Amino acid sequence: MDLSQNHIHNQSAANLYYQFGSDNSFPGLGTQQQFPPFTSPFGASPSTNIPHMDWNPATMLDNLTFIEEKIRQVKDVIHTMVDSGGQLSCHQGEIAQKKQVVNADLTCLIVQLISTAGSLLPSLKNSSFLRHPAAGHMDMANHVGPSSGLVPNAMTVSEENKEDMCSPEDYEELFKGWTDGTIKEGIEIGNVLVEEQDMKDGDEGKDGENLPPGSCELLQLEKDEILAPHTHFCSICGKGFKRDANLRMHMRGHGDEYKSPAALAKPPRDASAEHELVKRYSCPFVSCKRNKLHKNFQPLKTILCVKNHYKRSHCEKSYTCSRCHTKKFSVMADLKTHEKHCGRDKWLCSCGTSFSRKDKLFAHVALFQGHTPALPSEEPKTCSDQISHAGSHQESTKVPNSMGSSFMWGASSGDNNALDIKGFDGCNDDFLSTANFGSFNLSFGPADGFTGEPSGGSFSMLPSEHFQSA
Amino acid sequence: MGHDSGSSAGAGVESLSLDLLAHALAGVRDPRDRKSCRLASRAFARAEAASRRAARVLRREALPRALRAFPALSSLDLSACAGLDDASLAAALPVRLARASGVGWRGLEALVAACPRLEAVDLSHCVAAGDREMAALAAAGLRELVMDKCLGITDVGLAKVAVGCPGLQRLSVKWCREISDIGVKLLAKKCPELRSVDISYLKVTNESLRSVSTLEKLEDIAMVSCLFIDDDGLQMLSMCNSLQSIDVSRCHHVSSLGLASLIDSQRFLRKINAAHSLHEIETCVLSKLSTIGETLTVLRLDGLEIFASNLQAIGSTCKNLVEIGLSKCNGVTDDGIVSLVAHCCDLRTIDVTCCHLLTNGALAAIAENCRKIECLRLESCPFISEKGLEPIATLCSHLKEVDLTDCRINDAALQHLASCSELLILKLGLCSSISDEGLVYISSNCGKLVELDLYRCSAITDDGLAAVASGCKKIRMLNLCYCTQITDAGLKHVSALEELTNLELRCLVRITGIGITSIALGCTSLIELDLKRCYSVDDAGLWALSRYSQNLRQLTITYCQVTGLGLCHLLGSLRCLQDVKMVHLSWVSIEGFEMALRAACGRLKKLKLLGGLRSVLSTELLQMLLACGCRVRWVDKPLVYEG
Repeated sequence: MDLSQNHIHNQSAANLYYQFGSDNSFPGLGTQQQFPPFTSPFGASPSTNIPHMDWNPATMLDNLTFIEEKIRQVKDVIHTMVDSGGQLSCHQGEIAQKKQVVNADLTCLIVQLISTAGSLLPSLKNSSFLRHPAAGHMDMANHVGPSSGLVPNAMTVSEENKEDMCSPEDYEELFKGWTDGTIKEGIEIGNVLVEEQDMKDGDEGKDGENLPPGSCELLQLEKDEILAPHTHFCSICGKGFKRDANLRMHMRGHGDEYKSPAALAKPPRDASAEHELVKRYSCPFVSCKRNKLHKNFQPLKTILCVKNHYKRSHCEKSYTCSRCHTKKFSVMADLKTHEKHCGRDKWLCSCGTSFSRKDKLFAHVALFQGHTPALPSEEPKTCSDQISHAGSHQESTKVPNSMGSSFMWGASSGDNNALDIKGFDGCNDDFLSTANFGSFNLSFGPADGFTGEPSGGSFSMLPSEHFQSA
Repeated sequence: MGHDSGSSAGAGVESLSLDLLAHALAGVRDPRDRKSCRLASRAFARAEAASRRAARVLRREALPRALRAFPALSSLDLSACAGLDDASLAAALPVRLARASGVGWRGLEALVAACPRLEAVDLSHCVAAGDREMAALAAAGLRELVMDKCLGITDVGLAKVAVGCPGLQRLSVKWCREISDIGVKLLAKKCPELRSVDISYLKVTNESLRSVSTLEKLEDIAMVSCLFIDDDGLQMLSMCNSLQSIDVSRCHHVSSLGLASLIDSQRFLRKINAAHSLHEIETCVLSKLSTIGETLTVLRLDGLEIFASNLQAIGSTCKNLVEIGLSKCNGVTDDGIVSLVAHCCDLRTIDVTCCHLLTNGALAAIAENCRKIECLRLESCPFISEKGLEPIATLCSHLKEVDLTDCRINDAALQHLASCSELLILKLGLCSSISDEGLVYISSNCGKLVELDLYRCSAITDDGLAAVASGCKKIRMLNLCYCTQITDAGLKHVSALEELTNLELRCLVRITGIGITSIALGCTSLIELDLKRCYSVDDAGLWALSRYSQNLRQLTITYCQVTGLGLCHLLGSLRCLQDVKMVHLSWVSIEGFEMALRAACGRLKKLKLLGGLRSVLSTELLQMLLACGCRVRWVDKPLVYEG
């Protein structure tokens, strides 16, 4: 991870370096591909976007002045590097130091530029997404900016702050958000909202830095957020997705601009999270042990844990196993896990109890007088794993007839009859399972219908009825 | 004895009561003698009908009649009954069904329903028997159950038996490879009356022995070739201290330490079989032997490294030994045998097969000390000669069985042995220096001989057989393989052996259909006949066999010069025939095979056929054979003429 981060860091730095044009020592095909998205904000965004926006011209001017000043500083540094590079007498270490300074400054510049440009966009103006990080980075930039005049100081400061800034990653994230933002639709983007959530978490994390070390950041998602089936929505058509990756794949269908590597790249959110404080979650259900108000509070570790916990503990178990019709689950994955094993209880006792393991059955038989392990055909009532399909069922009924009654042991005895009876059960199960499937689909109906409405906007109505009744 | 009483006292017998007659009949052991009695007098027939307890049915058709004729039957052996199926079993009794591959669970269910007193069932080698058959049997509440090599039986079947037969005393599950620790554990829990358990060749571990050790009445345990059992298991087994017999042979992970710990807790141990398990017998075992020295009678140590000092220790502690097995033991010398037999004067069986170092000295010591010796196995002891056998023959008059295979003895040795008039079994295979003269000596005095093995005694001629046939009328098993000088005339003599059941004539190139005809006419009890590579035997022989050898069960006619016609006739008429090996019958057409097999279908259990026929014979026939419980071995050997 660290290596790849460094790589990204260096690459983007080199990219900028090249772009600023004073030296061609880092050209590369790969980096050139990234030009278009980079250059466009530089050239176009401030001027073209200005007329549409209600923005503060004074702030904008300040920002641009700062950027200008910054560019000049960087140019100076690079000039000295060019000069000393020609003499070939400089120490390697000195060059490296200067490169780092340049990197830091350029990153700062980019952040500044994007935040400036981003604040012009109407759809993002009110979202905290850009506001908070922009402000944060502005602070950083301002902090770095003045001191960078003195090279050694700037160097140390930038090195200190590099960890916190995580410039390339943050940059990419911001940049992605910005490109999303340029989509003209006025729909509130689910993706952005989620990121807003994340960023809010990040802010809390930053606040938490003032707290004594070792304490973790505690979050509590609301019930609606926990139960939302889809968390990523297409900003154009409104289709919902469970995974951002799927959304990105989906976006390709909306035009070529979504096919660029940058648009398809995975936002390295996890990487930035590494540097943040450990997050822990609280269940919104009061009096639950996982709720932060509980005196023996035990936090949940991930959002997935929260979701599964909330569904398992505080929601109705609406998924019924289509085989046994008895086991119910509130988490789909649990049902699927169960269905893998349901009916595998092939170890039957004569009393009708079934076991998944032979030793368990034999322990049971040992315990109770008169109980014996059942041969498959002896217990027509019990369900078994060999629930056969209709075809094999019919075949198996034919076999014993054709074999005649007086034939040898294995061929006509036992297994076929067993299959026979089980086959009957299997049919029954299949029939019921389809019925069940129908109801299962129905339960998802409202949710699907809902996502189709483009202006729904908020998540509060998303959960289906049975969730709300829980 | 039977013949005399029947013929002379025909009228007087009628006046005696059935009880008395039955009592008298009880003394008549030989079935042929009994038959004579029955034929001589109706009174005997009635007495036997009323008192007969055991019957061995050879043919399916005879079963209902036998059951009607002998209402008092308590034991029924159906192991030789060809083509047994479920229907036949509907009314039967305590049953021995060994190798009855056609019996299914329906028949067993009917059997159990018909025989509420059923106590013992032997299902061994019913390879297709499975859990369902066990479930059917379990309802009977058996006391004894042998299900060796019932390959389909799993833990579930065993559990059925365990739950259904809480009074089970004897159980053998040898070769039931699906049975595991779990099944054995349940068995031990549910059947506390178990006295004898055989778990040989199972994939069970020490856990099974832990379970078995809870059986308080356990006396006899066999665990041959249980490769997952080691010393820890034997240590656990030492919990039960009523053991009388332990068989740990071929358990490769058992060592002297484990055996010693097991012996240590026992007081009544009579039998130990540690053959091919321990590498050598160490002092820890020898020292523990003293605790059971009084009771131990059988000790088998085959295949171990045994030195003279070990044998001396065994001899001095186990004075009551009756049988010792030292076959293939390295290091057994004359000194060792001398020190062993010095104290063990009760020894009746000594097995020193392949103890290559033994000489006549050992035999002299045995003769001197073990006057009661009955069985002496000396196969491949090359230094043994007539000088060693002389004291044995003169001093040990009880000798019943001698194995001198590959011992390079001569006619003089047989002259000495001839003085053992009790001799029942004599094996002289590969003793090529034996001639007719030796056989004359034997036949002059060994009238009780039952088994004679002359494998590759190539000096034997028809004259020797004439002597044997005249002197040893009781011979049942005769092996003349590769005695190539024998002709039809010799077989004519052999045909005088009325009780002959097993006859092996492999590679007797001079015999023809004429000789076989005389055998078929004379030896009506013949059960097994091996004619492999008797190149001159033709259809005439098969015609005779099919007409007269109605009891023939096993037949090998590989390489015989027979045609499809003869084969069809043979397989069509022999109703007891179960096992036929007929590879390389070059004169038999495919249609011949097809017809012959169809004629015998339903009776055959085992077939050996040329692999090439597999694709040529109709699939319908093969399926039919399979459905009737017949297993076919396809052989892909090249056609090679020898001899």
